[in-house]
Amino acid sequence: MKIVLASALFPPDIASPAPYVKELTRRLAGAHEVAAVVYGSFPERVEGARIVAVSKRRPLPLRLISFTLALWRAARHADILYIENGASVELPALLIKWLVRTPLIIHFGDPAAKKYFSQKMLLRRAAGTITESPPGRPEILPFAPRPEAALAAYEQSWSGHVRMLEEKFAHAK
Amino acid sequence: MQNNTGQNRWGEYRERELAGLRPILKELGFELAADQPHLGGERHLTRPLGSGRKLVLVGRRDGARVIIKASSEAGGIKEIEHERTCREILERISFAYQTFLSPKELLFVCRGAYTILITEFIEQERPFVERPVEEQFALALKAFKAQESAHATTYAHARIIKNTFGEMRAAGYVKKIKRYTQEAKPHAALGEACNFLSHNMQTLEQYGGFLTHWDFTPQNIRVRGGDIYLLDHSSLHFGNKYEGWARLINFMALYNPPLAGALVQYVRDNRAPEESLALKLMRVYRLAELVRYYVGWLPNTEDNLNELAKARIAFWSEVLRAVLGDQEVPAAVIESYKQKRDSLRSEEEKLRQVGLH
Repeated sequence: MKIVLASALFPPDIASPAPYVKELTRRLAGAHEVAAVVYGSFPERVEGARIVAVSKRRPLPLRLISFTLALWRAARHADILYIENGASVELPALLIKWLVRTPLIIHFGDPAAKKYFSQKMLLRRAAGTITESPPGRPEILPFAPRPEAALAAYEQSWSGHVRMLEEKFAHAK
Repeated sequence: MQNNTGQNRWGEYRERELAGLRPILKELGFELAADQPHLGGERHLTRPLGSGRKLVLVGRRDGARVIIKASSEAGGIKEIEHERTCREILERISFAYQTFLSPKELLFVCRGAYTILITEFIEQERPFVERPVEEQFALALKAFKAQESAHATTYAHARIIKNTFGEMRAAGYVKKIKRYTQEAKPHAALGEACNFLSHNMQTLEQYGGFLTHWDFTPQNIRVRGGDIYLLDHSSLHFGNKYEGWARLINFMALYNPPLAGALVQYVRDNRAPEESLALKLMRVYRLAELVRYYVGWLPNTEDNLNELAKARIAFWSEVLRAVLGDQEVPAAVIESYKQKRDSLRSEEEKLRQVGLH
């Protein structure tokens, strides 16, 4: 399956949903053809995935145009478009939904993102929405025992999440 | 001769400023403490001699200790005002996800030739370095995470920070290390460090745009109620995420190697591989900067202080070689340096060091 992820945040950004998007990209890349279209200058690498970065250090209109073009190029031959909420991604996604027939699913991974009209309009065209995210990775701390149980729960949570997404992607229209 | 001249000039400046400040502070309801740890010892070498001088004093009001920063020189006044602006902007910065703790400002005033900034003194049960290493690690990590939560990524963010904090980007780090390499000759070899940064500019840039405390060492932090308070806001700027980490880890390579190792291990275990490289790059940069700093002492010192500067150049060069080679500094090298340093330090400086960290 050809999957395109789109997000305003991606590591080295630290705020949610950056770590989620990177982890999802990594996990999906093992079994699918994955491209992530993100804002940033030097995103962290993910083995097996293509990361397309659009600089944030340009005035807003310019970066929105660049992101829209990058997303359109990636999405036109994709099987699914999975986007993070937030106007800087929703607006370009809304524009390209008029141009391509790729099914789109919105993930509400950024609780701080403001809701604009773009989200309302995009929701009408979306094949689905996802609200849940696996918890953050437990930290391994130098003076504490390795949190084996928490790490196992984290792995399990991600496995379930990816399975659920693959199911949704397969049936999205 | 130059050493005495520098020390004498600092002494004259200090006495002149204190004589002018005392009546103003009294009028404002503050008095100076008898013991002033930030005035003696090697202090004359840690500030520029020509301009930008300021006094950092311990005072009291109604029995409570306060910190007084004062200057009558253009450079020093600018530094005090800059620190205040940084503090104000940090409190209302829109792209920080966590808040910073800093001592409360009690008074900012311009009286006569003096600009004076008075903040509360953060009383702490125990200094940072006297806490168990596990606690030091947890506190440092908490403070670093709070700094990292301010990440200037957009055009609008860059506009907010550019004029206040300044921003160091990859090209800036490389330019500076090239200068340090030139200036440190023939006393220290920094060529390998310079090449290492030049070849990894993308990683330097990748983790840029983060708020970082340029001088994150125990003397600039105080601990109260499980929280770290950052002192000296003029040392905050936007740059590589690991600039502050590198400063503390390099410092701890001398004072507390297990803590230095724990912080490096944390990054290795929990963050992307590129971040370990970014940390190493910043450690190398900060060590080159430190070596260059002590090379700058050589023409201004003589006798024991000059020998001490040479010992410091040799020791920090050794640490730099170890970091470049992904090695630990042998404990014997650290001990030998500490003994030499203690034998060369003046009694006044030894006194100043007590409780400083």
